[in-house]
Amino acid sequence: MNCRSEALEVSVEGRQVDEAMLALLHTILLHRSTGKFHYKKEGTYSIGTVGTQDIDCDFIDFSFVRVSSDELDRAIRKAVGEFKDAMGNGMDGMGQISLEFYQKKKSRWPFSDECIPWEVWSIKVNVVNLANEQERQICREKVGEKLGEKVINIVEVINRHEYLPKMPTQSEVDNVFDTSLKDVQPYLYKITFQITDTLGSSVSTTMRRLIKDTLAL
Amino acid sequence: MAAHFDTEYQRLEASYSDSPPGEENLLVHVPDGNKSPWHHIENLDLFFQRVYNLHQKNGFTCMLLGEVFELVQLLFVVGFTVFLANCVDYDILFANKFVNHTDSSKVTLPDAFLPVDVCSASIRDNVTVMFVLMISGVFWLHRLIKFIYNVCCYWEIRSFYTNALKMSMAELPYFTWQEVQARIVEIQKEHQICIHKKELTELDIYHRILRFKNYMVAMVNKSLLPVRFRPPLLGECVFYTRGLKYNFELILFWGPGSLFESEWSLKPQYKRGGNRLELADKLASRILWIGIANLLLCPVVLVWQILYAFFSYTEVIKREPGSLGARCWSLYGRCYLRHFNELDHELMSRLSKGYKASSRYMNCFLSSLLTVVAKNVAFFAGSLLAVLIALTIYDEDVLAVEHVLSSITLLGVCITVCRSFIPDKHLVYCPEQLLRLILAHIHYMPDHWQGNAHRYETRDQFSQLFQYKAVFILEELTSPLVTPFILIFSLRRKSLEIIDFFRNFTVEVVGVGDTCSFAQMDIRQHGHPAWMSEGKTEASIYQQAEDGKTELSLMHFALTNPQWQPPTETTHFISQLKERVQRETTGDGHTLTSLSEPRSLIANFLAGPPSLASLHLGRDGSLANHGPVGVSDGASALRSLSVSSMRGSCSSTHRSAGHASSASRAMAGSSTDAQTASSGSSVWEGQLTSLVLSEYASTEMSIHALYIHELRKQQSGGELSRHTWHRQDSDDSSDSVTEEGGSGGGNTNPRKPIPRSHTFPISTPISTPGPIPSSNSGPNPDRGTTPGQEVAPLQSNSQRHYGGNTDSVGPGGRVVRSERVPIGGWAEEGHGGRHPDTVPEERSEDDMPPNIHKVT
Repeated sequence: MNCRSEALEVSVEGRQVDEAMLALLHTILLHRSTGKFHYKKEGTYSIGTVGTQDIDCDFIDFSFVRVSSDELDRAIRKAVGEFKDAMGNGMDGMGQISLEFYQKKKSRWPFSDECIPWEVWSIKVNVVNLANEQERQICREKVGEKLGEKVINIVEVINRHEYLPKMPTQSEVDNVFDTSLKDVQPYLYKITFQITDTLGSSVSTTMRRLIKDTLAL
Repeated sequence: MAAHFDTEYQRLEASYSDSPPGEENLLVHVPDGNKSPWHHIENLDLFFQRVYNLHQKNGFTCMLLGEVFELVQLLFVVGFTVFLANCVDYDILFANKFVNHTDSSKVTLPDAFLPVDVCSASIRDNVTVMFVLMISGVFWLHRLIKFIYNVCCYWEIRSFYTNALKMSMAELPYFTWQEVQARIVEIQKEHQICIHKKELTELDIYHRILRFKNYMVAMVNKSLLPVRFRPPLLGECVFYTRGLKYNFELILFWGPGSLFESEWSLKPQYKRGGNRLELADKLASRILWIGIANLLLCPVVLVWQILYAFFSYTEVIKREPGSLGARCWSLYGRCYLRHFNELDHELMSRLSKGYKASSRYMNCFLSSLLTVVAKNVAFFAGSLLAVLIALTIYDEDVLAVEHVLSSITLLGVCITVCRSFIPDKHLVYCPEQLLRLILAHIHYMPDHWQGNAHRYETRDQFSQLFQYKAVFILEELTSPLVTPFILIFSLRRKSLEIIDFFRNFTVEVVGVGDTCSFAQMDIRQHGHPAWMSEGKTEASIYQQAEDGKTELSLMHFALTNPQWQPPTETTHFISQLKERVQRETTGDGHTLTSLSEPRSLIANFLAGPPSLASLHLGRDGSLANHGPVGVSDGASALRSLSVSSMRGSCSSTHRSAGHASSASRAMAGSSTDAQTASSGSSVWEGQLTSLVLSEYASTEMSIHALYIHELRKQQSGGELSRHTWHRQDSDDSSDSVTEEGGSGGGNTNPRKPIPRSHTFPISTPISTPGPIPSSNSGPNPDRGTTPGQEVAPLQSNSQRHYGGNTDSVGPGGRVVRSERVPIGGWAEEGHGGRHPDTVPEERSEDDMPPNIHKVT
């Protein structure tokens, strides 16, 4: 519960799914990334720069800005690709992809490190089938407009003065930021997806909850 | 922060390593460093619960020791039972068989033990014993793992107390919960435990700790849980045991497949009205399975209960046999009497204060027939005992005669039991006064008890709240047998109502999660017009909390947490009530006759008939210190820090000076304190320590409770439209709807559009009240239409305030609503028009989307 959750909803055509997802995820990550930290001796650090890049969409009248980091882009493309595969091609469908920012908390020996989310963006996707080319054309513009609105709204949310993990010291930087990338340093994130909302939590989470419940006082 | 701004910013050419070009040209940051481990705690529910538990258990060491001993006790119970059953040669103990000792004829205890190999062989051969041993072994291991887990968790909490709250474990028992809470609220600003808000309120903490308990209280309040039964022969009775409670909680809150997906959120499908029937079916089948599981496990649980009861109570019964005749607050009583947002210790202290009066009240009803019998039995038993004791004193060899010792013990027990049936002849009882005194502490009482305190029915009903300890134990013992049947036959039928309840009375509060809407204590949404909130409430009958629970809970919470800042409307209600009570108590009351309010209520109940005044004052004096009922003398009034006696005596002397000389004597000692006490509830808030404050608060609360009840009584003028006590299920309450509509002066016009409170920090209900459960489908126009009527206003309202969901008219003129309200008020308008296919057809009108509401 101790985590903000933001919900977005888009309805797109089947072939627009990955571009729309990429646009939204990249927009969020653009604002949730910093340059690499370079720590100095006296517990100070300097921040590297982050390049940005405009990306034009093929199937949507839309272009968005993303961090110019191929590694990050690859990671996100991979997740979105999996999502799209899971959705199945062509058919109507609903799915939800969520981008979760978390921080790690070191625990003592018997427990593994906890990952505590602090912000979750869930993007609901409705896939629609369109009959003819004209509708597709309209849809292309419409989705572009819609995505533009969403991007503005994402920025609004991010501009609110709300909780962010504090800037870590050198030893703790791995608990807050994903430092595996060479050129950019986003907050630790996780992309998960879910097809159709009737699907409950997975078996493993249910089991985990069960064990936790029995252990709880 | 050595910043040099004189450089020009430039893009580094394709440098993936992104190394700093030069030390002197950089903006240098300092990390926030010393990060507290307490910011952003994942599971705040559990965290606060643990913080509370640790406080209630007086610190880490006490808790640890307690748990260790519990584990040991468990081992002991099982081990000892098995040992007694298998390893003791009772023939030797009873001297039916002789031991051939060479040296002496004395039989020692070890002689009676069987040798180890014989013993273990007999255990191994006995299947049932092995079964019991295995079950308890598994159970014990479970407990052990839980214990280890708990130790680790509470160690964290311990360091939270010492490092963040700056309270050492040694002094923890001397802090009140309010102080702990105040510190938590304080450190939230620094550590940001909860990330949603900058500041926590007391109510947030309470909500988290009591999330499920509030639901339980609300369900009992709305008579949803099947705890009342009408078995043949026994008449109406209440059956609510720990086992049953455990099962309810298992089904609803935390078991596999329960309604909640985590501690803090209801599963989304339960928030939507669309498929309530399916969900009800699912719930019913789950209840069935759990019931069957209970039935299968019944022998195990039963054996366990019996063993546990045997070992925990035999010692007590031997020591003081009277304790079986003593009473305790029943589990149902605790649920019925609990306020919303009332922590365990608050409830317990309140009930304990009422204990004395309650047991005295129950003693008023000792059956005279029993008394006569008991007196005579006691006489005969006593004479036998006297002879035996006399003989023993003369020559102790008498003890060696067979069964003499046992008959002495038995006779002793018999006499003690009999004595509990013989009333103390020096005490005069006045049930009506006593009941009022009880009411001052327990705060809830069905309306028809007042004025009928002397009736046997009232006593019977009160005994459902306040039962014999023996009955309590008996119920616990039978619980494993009865519980499965209650689940299968009674609870299962309620599944639809339960689904509806959770949908209608769950709100999502930002920073807290899904809570019971009753626990928000919003007069407007759940107030009952007959309980002071007339004109302020807009709740339909279905939404009103019974017995004035919303109003009293609100007062209670506001009084126990004076720092809490309720929303303005609520503040208005509280201050208005406070003012009225103030006016009544400080003596202007009896001259001031305002039109709307009944005349000097407090005068009525404090003074009573003049002859009773002193008696009552005496009782009042013993409110807090449980002293004997005596004439209140100044000394006792001073000694006990009983604010109640001060206030009580103060106010009554103000009004009826010279009414009773004893009263003025009491005043003489404590007049100054009494003045400050009564001079205004806001005066002392800042200056007194929280302990004193909580005592004032409880007294204040007593007075408020009495006042509200009195007001209610006078308003209803004796004809009460709703006998909530006799509510069997919601059928009855729906019967009273028409009466209410007629007699209630039309202040609850259910057809009126309902403007929701803008200021109250809750979102609109997650969904509008869906179709009323089918059991209520009787000929009742009011109930039938209300929920449907409400949909529209609610809808428009949520749009207005949160910019939440936008309706768009589809091509067919159908109103299409976006499913979930996205943040910042961006909605999917138009997509319905553009792509009609994308709109799911099954979304019905009552499919109110869950709103997320930012609380500022």
